[in-house]
Amino acid sequence: MGDIIKLVGKRLGLGLLILLIISIIIFFMVELLPGDIAQAVLGQGATAENLKALRTKMGLDDPAIVRYLAWLADAVTFDFGRSIVTDEKVTTIIGERFANTLFLAAYAAVIAVPVSIILGVVVALLRNSVFDKVANVVTLSFISSPEFFLGYILILYFSVKWGIFPSIASLSDSMSFWELLNRTFLPALTLVLVVMAHMMRMTRAAIINLLASPYIEMAKLKGAPPWKVIVKHALPNAWAPIINVIALNLAYLITGVVLVEVVFVYPGIGQALVDAVSKRDFPVVQACCLIFAATFILLNLAADVGAILTNPRLRHPK
Amino acid sequence: MKFKESDVLLKIRDLKIQGYSDETWVDIIKGVDLTLHRGEVMGLIGESGAGKSTIGAAAMGYARDGTRIVEGSSIEFDGMELTNASEADKRALRGSRIAYVAQSAAASFNPAHKLIDQHTEAPVQYRIKKRLEAQEDAIELYERLRLPNPQEIGFRYPHQVSGGQLQRAMTAMAMSCRPDMIIFDEPTTALDVTTQIEVLAAIRDIVDQFNTAAIYITHDLAVVAQMADTIKVLLKGEEVEEAPTDQMLSNPKEDYTKSLWAVRSFTVEQKARPKDSVPLISIKNVDASYSNGPKILDDVSFDIYEGMTVAVVGESGSGKSTTARVITGLLPPSKGEVLFKGEPFPPSYKDRTKDQLRQCQMIYQMADTALNPKVQISEIIGRPAQFYSGLKGTALKNRVDELLDLIELEPAKYYNRFPPELSGGQKQRIGIARALAAEPSFIVCDEVTSALDQLVAEGILRLLDRLQKELNLAYMFITHDLATVRSIADEVVVMQNGQVVEQGPKDDMFTPPHHPYTDLLLSSVPEMDPNWLTTLLEERGIDNIGDAAMANIDPDDEKVEGTQV
Amino acid sequence: MSFFVVGYYALLLVTSCLAAYFNQRQAFLVLFSLTLVSFVLGIVGGVPALRAVATCAGLLLFAGMIAYAFREFLIYLSSDDMGKELRTAPLTAAFGMFVIFTYAIMGIFAPWIAPHGEAEVISSAFAPADENMLLGADQLGRDMFSRIVFGARNTVALALVGTTLAFILGAMAGLLAATKGGFFDGVMGRTADVIMSIPSLIFALLMLSIFGGSLAAPSTSFWLLTGFFCVVGLLFLAAAAEGAMGWLIGAAIAVGVAVGLALFGTSIFNASEVILILVVAIIYSPRVYRLTRAVAGNVVVMDYIEAAKLRGEGNWYLIRREILPNSTAPLIAEFGLEFCFVFLLIAGLSFLGLGIQPPTADWGSMVRENATLISFGDITPLIPAGAIALLTVAVNFVVDWMLHRSSGLKE
Repeated sequence: MGDIIKLVGKRLGLGLLILLIISIIIFFMVELLPGDIAQAVLGQGATAENLKALRTKMGLDDPAIVRYLAWLADAVTFDFGRSIVTDEKVTTIIGERFANTLFLAAYAAVIAVPVSIILGVVVALLRNSVFDKVANVVTLSFISSPEFFLGYILILYFSVKWGIFPSIASLSDSMSFWELLNRTFLPALTLVLVVMAHMMRMTRAAIINLLASPYIEMAKLKGAPPWKVIVKHALPNAWAPIINVIALNLAYLITGVVLVEVVFVYPGIGQALVDAVSKRDFPVVQACCLIFAATFILLNLAADVGAILTNPRLRHPK
Repeated sequence: MKFKESDVLLKIRDLKIQGYSDETWVDIIKGVDLTLHRGEVMGLIGESGAGKSTIGAAAMGYARDGTRIVEGSSIEFDGMELTNASEADKRALRGSRIAYVAQSAAASFNPAHKLIDQHTEAPVQYRIKKRLEAQEDAIELYERLRLPNPQEIGFRYPHQVSGGQLQRAMTAMAMSCRPDMIIFDEPTTALDVTTQIEVLAAIRDIVDQFNTAAIYITHDLAVVAQMADTIKVLLKGEEVEEAPTDQMLSNPKEDYTKSLWAVRSFTVEQKARPKDSVPLISIKNVDASYSNGPKILDDVSFDIYEGMTVAVVGESGSGKSTTARVITGLLPPSKGEVLFKGEPFPPSYKDRTKDQLRQCQMIYQMADTALNPKVQISEIIGRPAQFYSGLKGTALKNRVDELLDLIELEPAKYYNRFPPELSGGQKQRIGIARALAAEPSFIVCDEVTSALDQLVAEGILRLLDRLQKELNLAYMFITHDLATVRSIADEVVVMQNGQVVEQGPKDDMFTPPHHPYTDLLLSSVPEMDPNWLTTLLEERGIDNIGDAAMANIDPDDEKVEGTQV
Repeated sequence: MSFFVVGYYALLLVTSCLAAYFNQRQAFLVLFSLTLVSFVLGIVGGVPALRAVATCAGLLLFAGMIAYAFREFLIYLSSDDMGKELRTAPLTAAFGMFVIFTYAIMGIFAPWIAPHGEAEVISSAFAPADENMLLGADQLGRDMFSRIVFGARNTVALALVGTTLAFILGAMAGLLAATKGGFFDGVMGRTADVIMSIPSLIFALLMLSIFGGSLAAPSTSFWLLTGFFCVVGLLFLAAAAEGAMGWLIGAAIAVGVAVGLALFGTSIFNASEVILILVVAIIYSPRVYRLTRAVAGNVVVMDYIEAAKLRGEGNWYLIRREILPNSTAPLIAEFGLEFCFVFLLIAGLSFLGLGIQPPTADWGSMVRENATLISFGDITPLIPAGAIALLTVAVNFVVDWMLHRSSGLKE
């Protein structure tokens, strides 16, 4: 067991290191601005006095490294400073939106993960049949379509033409959970379609790879019935690839959510990020980027740790 | 041994199997008949691509993915026709009445389960035994197969057990339901000779004890001679001939079979070291390891003289290829040095001059990976000539033609071809020509004949010998095949675990007394004599082969002491 | 029961029976399941649903026929070897090639195909389609069809240039890392890891918020582009240059070429477009690097590479003559794949209003500009979105086939 703890520890350490490097990139990228933040905020026509005032206010007179350390220390306690456009605390702007985004992603994941893994396994078992070929074409088409294309098609039919689901996913506190699910169904469905296509293909590839192993042939030649070949011989070895597929796609969801939120005017963090980018509200941009990157790294980390934990070679060292 | 007509267990008639490649079905097996009696062991031998393994699978009514059994074939197992049996009926046979032992035990055991759980799977499923009974039976079988720690070894996971032991555990698993027939698909091909012999002895004993019929698939004649009652020779999906083992060995009928038997008649007269001369290559007290890993080479020293062939023998992991990498400069040694005509060679090839690089060339085992498939033959051979000698235009073309003549390939025909269009032997010749193009004085031959079919290999050896005489080349011949050593070597170096165990002229090396490891290695190489294994086991004793014998080597033995100097 | 319904079912039944009779199992399965699906949908949704199913099936059939004819056409035109390869292409791949071909024609001959100018206002906002305007007008009264045609040129060209730059940087670094190994390999690998652990869209947004959008300065874009080309030049130098003199001369040439290329680049694209190209090139080069490193890594372990190294060949020869010819097939497929990602990223950014800036016609921004029409049940905004989807689907179909070919017939 000592080996596993060591490996997992090493992996976690690496994840933290990458996160640190990314925080450096995110912070110092802004320093690369032609001029500086104050200049960017006030524009070319700003007077020297205004600039000076803003610089002092934002603490721009300190060297970059000092400001980075201060920013990092605050960021660890989830304090990302104040917006330079509205002067609100970044945490207040993002906080609730982040929860909304997580809700949407979770909603999509709960539907997509089980369905696509089951479908992926089925397609792998039926490989080279007509069903497999059709599934290949359909999933490829969904992967290739931009999220806003799928989103607007869903809006056009489900909401405008047939009126089954609402097209704008606005939320309010007074909504019942059921109504919440109903309201956010279309954005969730858009995410589900894209992620499911990815996941099905990856699951199929992983399972086919697994079924080609000599020990699967051995199990067949020992007379094991097909269900037993799958359940007893394939499944215990399939966890690592499947966990990997899930984590990668959850990470994908995090990115996909930005476009979907804009299409459905959903009050999530992606929407906030896009607004902040167009207004050049750097503290918000930095905070959002850090949150997205952290989630992304966390999921990749989970995939790696999952793969380590389910590897029989590592669980039972020599 | 004669078998009665009434005891027929497996009857295959007109078996045709097709494989799917390039969008069409191609015949792999073109109408093979096979009759196996109860208790009979039949050896299926042939070169790669002969279809041995496919027939083995078909004997279980099983067609691998991408292959199909053609209608009209008949596979009758104990009165039951398998070609039109339902999948469930066929499945009921597998594991219980027909069992299978795969080539790579390491890949064929499921990494997620303990050995014994995989062992008991079939008997429990067929309700032949209760789980605990099956476990006890497994332990008994492990004991019979002479696995170390039979009580405990089954409770390990596959990756915790060594290759030779896994192969025996797989044989035990095949025996778990006491089947009528076992298919052995190259069970010892992936093993070292000293390990192979243990597995062979174990398999033979257990098959005898339970009077199980078996189909033993291999490409190694000497191995099949020990195991089989009858031998069937296959070539490209067709049967060449079949006869009882003794008869087949002593009196083969078909030309193809004779050609298989006739190889290694070729031997070179042993040359002696030239007197009072500096060795061409001299390896002095070399230690080497890969990036801070364990030591792969430990104080290796030997000399190679001009125009002579030194064979380096040893099992996998003995460090023979690493020695070659040190000489060529791919792996700079951590201690010691390599001298060329008395002058030290820079340790890394990157620091060597063009002339130093030119002197020392290499020929590889796998001609497929040794030649760039996307480059024409003319450039493969021409590039060294152009690179070292600066030849251009017609001079270059003439040189390439000359080299092609030298390796007995017609220049006009091969000049513009690409490697994938050539046969294995032709590719190996191109590899030789590329080495010659640099005009070297020394060539490292890394297992150059082991990937080739026997006749082709013989041709390559003859060519190398001729070139040595014409061009006064020195060879370092890395091989695990003692027959090759016997035919071409002048001197022999035996390596084990990164150390030189013994070295000397060939004739001395093949006459006792040996260092115990050399002795073990020499005696473990199967010979064509069908009684070889029996005699050997009688001579050495059942506990003095393989790993057990390795452990028995007495460190205080005079010969062993001698090498430590 | 209308004439349409009877005729439709009759046609389906006759063809499925014919397929069954001639032992065409797959065709029969497809046809008969279509019949069953039509049956169920017909009962649930009535004639309109049936019509929709029939239209879809008809469209698919039509696409299939085009693909078949186009494949035969290509086989007829090409040499024997190519023809043999093409014969293995499934209909989806042939369809993909046809679509790519059409887009290429549309992009190259845009000014001649489009009836109106890219930014020409010819009618009132959101005017419906008439004989003058095939697809109606957009929110400013510009011809939708013309803008779609010009969009093919603008969006695709940008994505193509972005992918090419990502490819030159990533592939060169990958090849060099595989050949050199050691420290350089390690550093490059870690760098790629870090860049890839930021989600691509997020990273793009971060970079655009700083350099990009309508505020992008021409001088910034020029210097950034020069810097990018210098890095690429450095990689080439590391592979090809020998000795201090070689480095010196090479560096001088590289800087000159980089400045020239940057001047050329900024003269074709405006500042915000150059920034966009650089952003996608930086984001996607680590992905290209990873793949090239893996592909080249498989080649580098071959004995013929060892033989060439022992001969004393330099890195440049190894890359050019030994490694590259053996990695082209997967690299071409990867180019297609990366193009799809880049294209979707650019479209996504434009859709968010942060990519290609108006008034340049671009599909992503066109979706955004006309999005309000959706709530009136108008499909206009779906047309540019569909154009994006169709191209990526087409490229993916072709890539899928190529990957299948290059991976051999393992399955």
